[in-house]
Amino acid sequence: MTILSEFEYTRPKSLKEALKILAKEKGAIPLSGGTDIVPLLKDGRIVCTTIVDLKNIKRMDEIGLSRDKKYIVIGSLVTFSELIKSKLIQKHFPVLMEMAKTVASVAVRNRATLAGNICSAVPSMDSGSLLMALEANIHVESLKGKRVVSINKWFKAPRKTVLKRGEIVTSISLPLINKNKYAGAYLKLGRYQGEDLAQVSLTILSLPEKSYRIAFGAVSPIPIRASIIEKKFQGKDITEELLQEAKVCLEKIISPISDVRASEEYRMHMAKVMMERGLEVVKKRYHGEGPEYGVTHL
Amino acid sequence: MNDFKYIGKSIGRIDGKEKITGAAKYVDDIDFGAGLLYAAIVESPHAHANIKKISTKKAEKIEGVIKVVTGAQFPFRFGLYMHDRYIFAQEKVRFVGEQVAAVIARDPKTALNAAKMVEVEYEVLDPILTVYDALGNMKDDSNKKFGHNPKKMIHPKLSEYTHVPWFFPQDNSNIAHFRKIRKGDLDGGFAQADHIFEDEYTVPRYAHCAIETHASVGLCDHSGRLTMWTASQSPHTQRHLFAEALAPLGFSHKDIRVITPYVGGGFGGKAGVSMEILAAALATTVRGHAVKVLWNRSQEFYNTYQRQGVHAKLKIGVKNDGTITALEQLLYWDAGAYVEYGANVVNAAGLSATGPYRIDNVKIDSVCVYTNLPPGGPYRGFGYSEFLFGLESHINEIAKKLKIDAVEFRLKNAIRGGDKLAYGAAMNPNGLEDCIKKVAKEIDWGKKRPIDPSLPHLAYGKGFSLFWKAPAMPPNASSSCFLKFNEDGSLNILLSGMEIGQGYFTVMAQIAAEVLSVPPHKIRCETPDTDRNPYEWQTVASHITWSCGNAVKKAAEDAREQIFDLVERALEMKREDLYLDSEAVKSKSDISFCLNFKDFIINGISKKDGSFRGGPILGRGMFMPEFTSALSDPETGQGGKPNVHYTVGAAAVDLQVDKETGKIKIHKIAFAVDAGVALNPDLVKGQITGGLLQGLATVLYEDMRFDDKGKLLNANFTDYKIPTTLDIPEEIVSIIVETPQMDGPYGARGVGEHTMIPAAPMVGNAVEDAIGIRIKSMPITAEKIALAMLKEK
Amino acid sequence: MKNKISFILNGEKRQLEVGPQDTLLEVLRTKLGITSPKVGCDRGDCGACTILLNGDTVKSCLILANEIDGQEVTTLEGLMEHGILPIQEKMVEKNSFQCGYCTPGFLVSTHALLKKTPCPTKEEIKEGLAGNLCRCTGYTPIIDAIIDFTKKNS
Repeated sequence: MTILSEFEYTRPKSLKEALKILAKEKGAIPLSGGTDIVPLLKDGRIVCTTIVDLKNIKRMDEIGLSRDKKYIVIGSLVTFSELIKSKLIQKHFPVLMEMAKTVASVAVRNRATLAGNICSAVPSMDSGSLLMALEANIHVESLKGKRVVSINKWFKAPRKTVLKRGEIVTSISLPLINKNKYAGAYLKLGRYQGEDLAQVSLTILSLPEKSYRIAFGAVSPIPIRASIIEKKFQGKDITEELLQEAKVCLEKIISPISDVRASEEYRMHMAKVMMERGLEVVKKRYHGEGPEYGVTHL
Repeated sequence: MNDFKYIGKSIGRIDGKEKITGAAKYVDDIDFGAGLLYAAIVESPHAHANIKKISTKKAEKIEGVIKVVTGAQFPFRFGLYMHDRYIFAQEKVRFVGEQVAAVIARDPKTALNAAKMVEVEYEVLDPILTVYDALGNMKDDSNKKFGHNPKKMIHPKLSEYTHVPWFFPQDNSNIAHFRKIRKGDLDGGFAQADHIFEDEYTVPRYAHCAIETHASVGLCDHSGRLTMWTASQSPHTQRHLFAEALAPLGFSHKDIRVITPYVGGGFGGKAGVSMEILAAALATTVRGHAVKVLWNRSQEFYNTYQRQGVHAKLKIGVKNDGTITALEQLLYWDAGAYVEYGANVVNAAGLSATGPYRIDNVKIDSVCVYTNLPPGGPYRGFGYSEFLFGLESHINEIAKKLKIDAVEFRLKNAIRGGDKLAYGAAMNPNGLEDCIKKVAKEIDWGKKRPIDPSLPHLAYGKGFSLFWKAPAMPPNASSSCFLKFNEDGSLNILLSGMEIGQGYFTVMAQIAAEVLSVPPHKIRCETPDTDRNPYEWQTVASHITWSCGNAVKKAAEDAREQIFDLVERALEMKREDLYLDSEAVKSKSDISFCLNFKDFIINGISKKDGSFRGGPILGRGMFMPEFTSALSDPETGQGGKPNVHYTVGAAAVDLQVDKETGKIKIHKIAFAVDAGVALNPDLVKGQITGGLLQGLATVLYEDMRFDDKGKLLNANFTDYKIPTTLDIPEEIVSIIVETPQMDGPYGARGVGEHTMIPAAPMVGNAVEDAIGIRIKSMPITAEKIALAMLKEK
Repeated sequence: MKNKISFILNGEKRQLEVGPQDTLLEVLRTKLGITSPKVGCDRGDCGACTILLNGDTVKSCLILANEIDGQEVTTLEGLMEHGILPIQEKMVEKNSFQCGYCTPGFLVSTHALLKKTPCPTKEEIKEGLAGNLCRCTGYTPIIDAIIDFTKKNS
């Protein structure tokens, strides 16, 4: 497939230079891994005047602790492969590694970035539910200044976020949790065990004092946190009865669609099954018994 | 048992190094130089419409555009078995994506941009997207009004189309071919039965998904010579169809040359002629320039042959002891917009829809129905995968209802050598019973995996299926071979079958090696070039090992006889004592005699007077199955011998089903095939491992989805996904049974397609065994299982 | 506007003018005569165009040619600088290919996998190759060759 649209390519050496180009040119778009943008260009589904390749910008490819040591900061050029390899991620957010391992396949993960994933914001994206559950913050910069957006407010609609023209995501920060006293699980439903898009994805965290965070992907236009269910579970043992109640509740929270990959009915059913299984996994992991991080659960 | 040096041995592939190093060239890898032109196709957005007007002016004005071509320049009908296709749409478009015009330009980008500027005005018609909509009248079977639908004909001129004599298109209908089989006394058969079981099964459309898309380059020089480079399973058939379709422009076969380098997967999708005709036609409009037509992955999905969908209605009569007394099977095939090749799939399935069972009373209607979906055509399995899903599922259900073990039931009714086939001819000797028994033993039939109390959501099941398939070929399909020695005694074999991955070149080399005592690694088989390589019908039907193998064997024997002639003549040796061993001529009566090939095979044998006898040794071989005929009574199908032989076998699967998610995990598959004689057992196993996964893909995952306007919704590898390394069975046990095919080379018969055929029914049967639910439509996805389980609750 | 890019291709310094729309795969195949990366889907699904970028596998159809300025590109051709690799010999022995079209992509992925994990488990092999599609072999002969190869290595 040939890219038919006309545009320029530039690779600025600094963030400032990149921001200047984006401010000046309405049709300029930033590029990190390109695994989503390049096929879209080929399909003619996006048109731009300039591709602003961010890969020469220094320090945006780093993973580190924030100065106050309260956050892990993931630069916007960090790829999924780098997340999988990172000792820091493995230590603090092994569930992020678990998610990253389900993204496409090695050669795509070597290129695709976490920041790119949330900027593309396709409903089937892998990272959405995870970042919701980890209560991530998105750090955005433009010539006008910096701002921080909570992941809860980031997504607007399929392929739409609050990112404005002229802005670049510089990093994603994840608040550290309770001295890592928590367990997490990421579950992805695909038709295949190999590379496939998510039909349903789910992140569950089990925190001290019987507190939970539960977020879903691919079952609503944007990733969604199941706060009502989290409240139901808060401080309680999850009995069969409570679980059934939560499943009924889920029907009002998520709004899956039917497409060529799965029907609405199956997605709804599987969201329930996955919630039940995810809870099992985090329960075990919380007590140090569960399967090691990075395995698939379905 | 003969003691062979190369036959029956798992010789390493002779194309190995070329492929493993990336040296092997495919059409799109060939450099055609700076003068190469590129074509982009203007496609119909409608499934059914009249073309009112085409305006090419805007496109023609674009810089870099050489020419815009429409159907007006090529008003010729053509086709393999039925002339129902056009090079570009004429007056009417019949499926979404059909080629209406083409732009030839200096570069692909200009061509694609200009193609968007070609303006086509359509009068949109209602698309006919299902066989039942296309068939119209389903009732009046008796007075031959079945299928009458005069007001909704997709091909109003159907009655004018030329076709092979064994096709029976029906007037005033969308029925392109109606294969009827009537054997024995159907009513009597059902009257004898203690039980009659009826059911219906549905199989959707599938895509081949070779990783190489179709590619074709045409060059028509100013002398009028047309050279084509195509990714094709059928170079000679292509040449013939190019010559036929373009004959009004003055082409004869000798003026057309088809070159096929290595092909990146075929599976039937690159048989016959599909998009290649476009490059041929376009090349004639820009003489002196090579023009390339390269399908992208989407086009590969919607504008090449697709595996046809089928709806099967089954009725089987059985006695209490399990004897099948009668079978009625109605198969309605969604054959798409053009059926020139697909109709033969319908025909082949109709002839063999009894499956490998001995049934005295049979009625089969196999009906090829035009719809406004993309053209159906050949796909590995050629109709057998499709009807066996229903038949083998139904057989299992019957055994269960009769409380007879499913393997016992199959053994009781399995066809044997000499039994009368549905069309009256006799079945070839075969090892079906042996296959069934070996598979049952390997899969531990009758023993179920215990349910693990800690994993209550898992259920376990085993499923069995038989399979068979005959090559579907015209009665005069032939193969031929030239074989030429080189100075060092190595060999180049010229043939026109395609090495599409199956290992054909290696097996052909083994045959020549066995006859001539030249090791296979000293033999090169040449990819086809119709100018140089001799005729081959097509690399389809799993017939090439058998048919071309016979031709190669004859060519090798021809060369051997020439060698003996020469040695007898030049050295006055006793001919009957001569034999070939280790690349030399030896004599039984004179053990000291040894004449190495390299010392005479090109330059001859020197005489005392300094003169020479002999010269380059060239072998020639040909094979045509002269014992077949496709002619039979159209009302009963009786009388001919349309099939050369059947390859049979059995397979079974041991799997687990997650009752909540519906996901299936395959623990083990046992697969037995009667290969006649396996010329290269590792290559047979390669076919089993690969074909099985392709079959499993059709039952577990894939299907083509169309919207209500006939547009394909999943025309890419994201949505029409194929299995990956993480989706393979845990274990496959390949079992080779050998009942020699007497007319095959060293007893061989084909196995290539058969390996995917039993996958769907055996999985369906195992799922039923596991969860007690019979799923009657393919694919049996996790979603279908999970939702069926929910419904049961 | 065309840009001049400099990069290392199979160990050799190269310079080339490329357009903003050119993909790396297009440039390799049509401008540099490197034909082992194949066009299978052209949208990152099939892995037939897999190459190494700075030593890591990438799908060259998903990369703009401009992006490789200053980078190191290695294709199967480059891996065979000193002749056929032992893993290639093993794959010939084990019939780990049929039509051969996806084979260069599989070899590049295998090479990268073995470099990172010299003795991979079966699961790691499957995971490492899950982005390469093959319709012929059913994958088993590819996986078996790698297992057999690494067994002798360890």
